[in-house]
Amino acid sequence: MQVYLDNSATTKPSPAAANALKDAAEMHWYNPSALYKPAMDVEKRVSEARECCLRAVHATSHRLVFTSGGTEADNLAITGYLRTVKKGGKVLYFQGEHPAVRACMDEARRLGFIAEEIPSTSQGMMDIASLERQLTADTVLLCLMQVNNETGAVQPVSEAVSLRNRLAPKAAIHVDGVQGYLRVPFDFNRSGIQSYAFSGHKIHACKGIGGLILHKSHRVSPLMLGGGQENGLRSGTENTPGILCLGEAARTYPADALPRMAALKEQLWEGIRERIPAAVQNGPTIGTSGAAPHILSVSLPPVRSQTMLFALEGDGIYVSAGSACASHSQRVSPVLTGMGMDRSMADCTLRFSFGIYNTEEEISYTVERIAAQYAVLSKYIRK
Amino acid sequence: MREILLVRYGEIFLKGQNRPFFMNALVKQVQRAVKPFDGHAWLHDGRIFVDRFSDMEECLQAVTKVFGVHSVCPAIEMEKDSFDAIADQAVHMMENLNGTFKVVSRRSDKRYPMDSPALNQELGYRILKANDQLSVDLHHPQHVMNVEIRDLCYLYVRVVPAVGGMPVGTGGQAALLLSGGIDSPVAGWMIAKRGVRLCAVHFHSYPYTSDRAKEKVLELARQLSAYCCGLKVYIVPFTHIQTEIHEKCRDDYGTLLMRRFMMRIAERCARKEGAKALITGESIGQVASQTIEALQVTNSVVSMPVFRPLIGFDKSEIMDVARKIGTLETSELPYEDCCTVFTPRHPATHPIVEKVAAEEEHLEAEALIEEAMAGIEIVAV
Repeated sequence: MQVYLDNSATTKPSPAAANALKDAAEMHWYNPSALYKPAMDVEKRVSEARECCLRAVHATSHRLVFTSGGTEADNLAITGYLRTVKKGGKVLYFQGEHPAVRACMDEARRLGFIAEEIPSTSQGMMDIASLERQLTADTVLLCLMQVNNETGAVQPVSEAVSLRNRLAPKAAIHVDGVQGYLRVPFDFNRSGIQSYAFSGHKIHACKGIGGLILHKSHRVSPLMLGGGQENGLRSGTENTPGILCLGEAARTYPADALPRMAALKEQLWEGIRERIPAAVQNGPTIGTSGAAPHILSVSLPPVRSQTMLFALEGDGIYVSAGSACASHSQRVSPVLTGMGMDRSMADCTLRFSFGIYNTEEEISYTVERIAAQYAVLSKYIRK
Repeated sequence: MREILLVRYGEIFLKGQNRPFFMNALVKQVQRAVKPFDGHAWLHDGRIFVDRFSDMEECLQAVTKVFGVHSVCPAIEMEKDSFDAIADQAVHMMENLNGTFKVVSRRSDKRYPMDSPALNQELGYRILKANDQLSVDLHHPQHVMNVEIRDLCYLYVRVVPAVGGMPVGTGGQAALLLSGGIDSPVAGWMIAKRGVRLCAVHFHSYPYTSDRAKEKVLELARQLSAYCCGLKVYIVPFTHIQTEIHEKCRDDYGTLLMRRFMMRIAERCARKEGAKALITGESIGQVASQTIEALQVTNSVVSMPVFRPLIGFDKSEIMDVARKIGTLETSELPYEDCCTVFTPRHPATHPIVEKVAAEEEHLEAEALIEEAMAGIEIVAV
């Protein structure tokens, strides 16, 4: 049996999304900016895809700029915005942010802003009390992720917005929704934020496509200059196959995906907890509003995550040690240590992330294999 | 007139009666190196020539990596009948240069009407007349216009140094203990440079090390194979030996015992391949298992000679060679080739052979080695 439980790294494209990609390559390949009929047809399809993506987060009255993915969307939201505001103000960001956002903080410093980190709680949530202290009237931008990619902790966006409204009303808020889009309910209209980034390949679309939703009154400066596509905010001929694929993935994302993934997450954790008393679940308690339905972070001391990962791979089960985006670096996750976890525990931490195709049977098999591998591997501890 | 490569060899010059053996080996290696560029290499008049290449620069770079080659010169080959044509070509080749120069002519065709000093003088005069940015310096010139009069005429200015050494295969065969680190590929390269054909032995500890770590080792082997004409990699399953040592033996001897098993298994792989020596990347004192006493402990289980070409090298010197031969970047990829679970916190640095051997008595050594040998995967790269 092959079990893919690394859906926060990437997902398998759904048949509908894959068909949209194929049709776009074979039939709807015209340049949407051209003036003849087949091109206009492609332009119409792009508009429909845009509507689908916006509708999924209640943002139809706002703008969506298609990008090459989440990283570019974060860059456009942060660097593109900072280029439009007076230098010298403060930029705040959550300690657990993805490297796409953290790297932009270095750029913010180079541009003349003061970038400050907001610490994490032991549950992996942004520390609201710290935010309250750090959020001052000279803050120009606050960045926080919707869902942490390693722990599945859903960040307190609405509390952050309330604090911003009270303490720094001029500050913009950018939310990195790459791990939250469609998997955690979100209403952009009511959220009070200014920008929201998401990525296609995390929701069963293809790679190379994502988007930045911008509040209709929010301005950013383009990073990519050229032919003025995407209302001048992202020049370059549109990636129409990617856009149509993304639109289809958003349109067909199953309505029952959230409760189903939440149930699988609970099944996996309960199974592990029952079989391995030493196991520790990290991040917000399962079933609470702070816990995303699709990410489970578990430490299995004393077995190093890398060893368990390779052992499970031998059983056909694919998981991640920490975040796959940074797994080549093999350093201990700063997200986990930022939550106060000691390095040796962080080094024993696995991330299981669920998608729309996982089944109860797969989870039962996974529990069995984890327990069996643990029984062997836990015998060998560094003396 | 056409562009060719002149390949010059080094130490083979010193060989006596068995020189043809070395020359044939070198020609074969050059032929293999130029094949991907559709090049054609042949031996003539004591020189190796390459022509018909699709990309001269790429082909030249490939030849500079062939062990036994001293230098490679991109040259113009032309008829020798018209001295004026030769002089025009020499002038053309020097027209964009500035600084100092001299002309060095060699005349293996002694029937040619001008002798070498006359060729030097006349060509030097014409070059100087055509390019006022040049002046003559016979002792320390910045550029040398080389002219060789053989059955045809060859002109070249650029001399690209090559790797040197001896042609692969002329020095027998040895088995390299290849990890994913920086040192062992360099050690293998240094011995291969002396004409030794390699095979490699890698110890894989799944699930403590990953397929990526294995792939990294195979990539290093591929990089080495560019120099040493392909090699076989023996991938030895090593987990059971490690867990047995971990369970049954003194912790501070863990790495030493592990190394003793590696040496024994490598020696058996070497025998299978017909290799007569082992190669390791050890350097005195680099880690606890590389003190003189520790080396004695690991050396004492094999009868083959063990070559340790890096024994007196600093890490930075090893890294310089790794950078030069192109293995450093791959070696620095972060995939671990051994797990810290099996690394003693306080390894013995001054072990005594008899004590380590006594500790080994706790293990069914022969059965473990047999089991590992039975599980070997061989990958040819």
